[in-house]
Amino acid sequence: MSAKAQSPLREAWRMFRRNVPALVGTAILLTIILVTLYGAFFYGGDPYEIVWAPHEAPGVTPEFPLGTDYLGRDLISGMLTGGGPTLAVGAAAAALTMIIGVSIGALAGYFGGWVDNLLMRFTEFFQVLPALLFAMVLVTLFSPSLTMIAIAIGVVSWPQTARLTRAEFLKIKNLEYVTAARAIGAKNGRIMWRVILPNAAPPLIVSATLTVGIAILFEAGLSFLGLGDPNTMSWGLMIGSNREYILQAWWPVTFPGLAIFLTVFAVSLIGDGLNDAFNPKLRER
Amino acid sequence: MSALLEIADLRVEFSTRYGPVTALDGVSLHVNPGETLGVVGESGCGKSITALSAMGLVPSPPGRVAGGSIKLAGEELIGARDARMRELRGGEIAMIFQEPMTSLNPVFTAGDQIAEAIMLHQDVDRGTAFDQAVALLDRVGIPEARRRASDYPHQLSGGMRQRVMIAMAVSCQPKVLIADEPTTALDVTVQAQIFDLLNDIQRDLGTAIVLITHDMGAIAEMADRVAVMYAGRVIEQGAADDILDNPKHPYTRGLIECIPNLGKGANEDGGAVPPPLAEIPGVVPPLHLLGDGCAFADRCGHRFDRCDTARPALMGDAHPAACHAVEEGRL
Repeated sequence: MSAKAQSPLREAWRMFRRNVPALVGTAILLTIILVTLYGAFFYGGDPYEIVWAPHEAPGVTPEFPLGTDYLGRDLISGMLTGGGPTLAVGAAAAALTMIIGVSIGALAGYFGGWVDNLLMRFTEFFQVLPALLFAMVLVTLFSPSLTMIAIAIGVVSWPQTARLTRAEFLKIKNLEYVTAARAIGAKNGRIMWRVILPNAAPPLIVSATLTVGIAILFEAGLSFLGLGDPNTMSWGLMIGSNREYILQAWWPVTFPGLAIFLTVFAVSLIGDGLNDAFNPKLRER
Repeated sequence: MSALLEIADLRVEFSTRYGPVTALDGVSLHVNPGETLGVVGESGCGKSITALSAMGLVPSPPGRVAGGSIKLAGEELIGARDARMRELRGGEIAMIFQEPMTSLNPVFTAGDQIAEAIMLHQDVDRGTAFDQAVALLDRVGIPEARRRASDYPHQLSGGMRQRVMIAMAVSCQPKVLIADEPTTALDVTVQAQIFDLLNDIQRDLGTAIVLITHDMGAIAEMADRVAVMYAGRVIEQGAADDILDNPKHPYTRGLIECIPNLGKGANEDGGAVPPPLAEIPGVVPPLHLLGDGCAFADRCGHRFDRCDTARPALMGDAHPAACHAVEEGRL
């Protein structure tokens, strides 16, 4: 028996630390976050300003190493400024997905019976909606702002989280320590959020991480279809607004695309690492 | 002395795929303050359901209390409001479970879990509750209680976890403590320690204990009175000494004979050998297959025609038994 208290989280961190791909993913993501947070400040320049001839290829003019877009705007400036909103939409959409999904899944799994029936039919209704189309409708109906895009992504992504949460709750609610908590006089709310949820957390954390990646891709997809927020620079918007000229100039679409790919790749590595870290079956002693 | 916990004619039904099944069929029990009632029987006799009923924790659905009454210090629990039941659970009546391995929440430390239990029933802040938890851990014999309080369940041995469970159960000084096979999952030396601890706590707090077990040895050690259950009914009840020395029901006799007895027999050379282990033939019948007769008839060596047609009632005053053969003086 170790002298130091080993909380389940600390134990998971110990496992995560040994997982090289997950560490690489974390390093990539941290770099991306730092660069998008502070890069624009150090680089200077206005991503919206037309500074050069349109479609300057990368590497031709030393001032604009990545070239310019269809309006003659600096691509590096756009990349540095657009990363923040892209990541923010991803994180916000994932947070919304988790809030809706976990609440509905927890209530359904815990109470069972007609509550479960009602909530699961509701969930299925959202699950069978074509996600991209529904999100497009939402964004078209309301404003194509970043907030609306995050909401739209959250609204179409939660059913999977709800099903996952429900399954975990169904499994855990019959375990003896839940009965023991009830025997000590705990209320339903306390049992759901303080007893069951922390035990259901590992797969939910993994799912939340992966949802960030999916949400970033979703935002790029909406932007590609011209439904991005036209007033805020984001990687998705860069792809969307330059896509018409992709045959004349590949770079204004490719570089933001690579950035998105790299971000989602890093997030997936982290998600997989967390999955392994939380899975006791994969834990070698 | 009026009973602290009084269960009268309790009926609990479960809906199963075979239709409704009566898991408890008119169970009556009582425990007085400071007394230990042993409830014995094999698996599936309704012991645990009796305990869960008293806690108001019969899983529903599929379970349902179909009749009878459970009174705690005179207050009727059946049909009591949820909020009131929550106050009573943990506060007035608490329970220890069979599996200390799985009845603690794996993601919180032992001290935190006990502190939670305290804060549910007392208006104290977390720091005070945690200090009380440490004192309780010390009280249940956990060495270096303050350090152990910040251990997670998986860092504790089975015996320690059961001590933590006991600490949690007695944290609000309940009047009644239900111990559902508290030592079944533990090894023998730890069993004795846990029983000592329960006895200590009973002496200090005057707690009434309902000890549910299948082990007659545990009954001999702990119980003041005993209720023997079979197939959802109480079939014999009385003072522990009385039942152990002078069992009436053939089932109770069988249970007592099942206690391994070392060194009673002798081989040809006169050396002591343990007699073969006794057993009661057969198993508890599935509840949906119970007929009109005595539920034990199929396994009973004293069966006669009446056993197949009528279910025996609990007869007698101080030491009643539910057996036709006993009633007619055949035994």
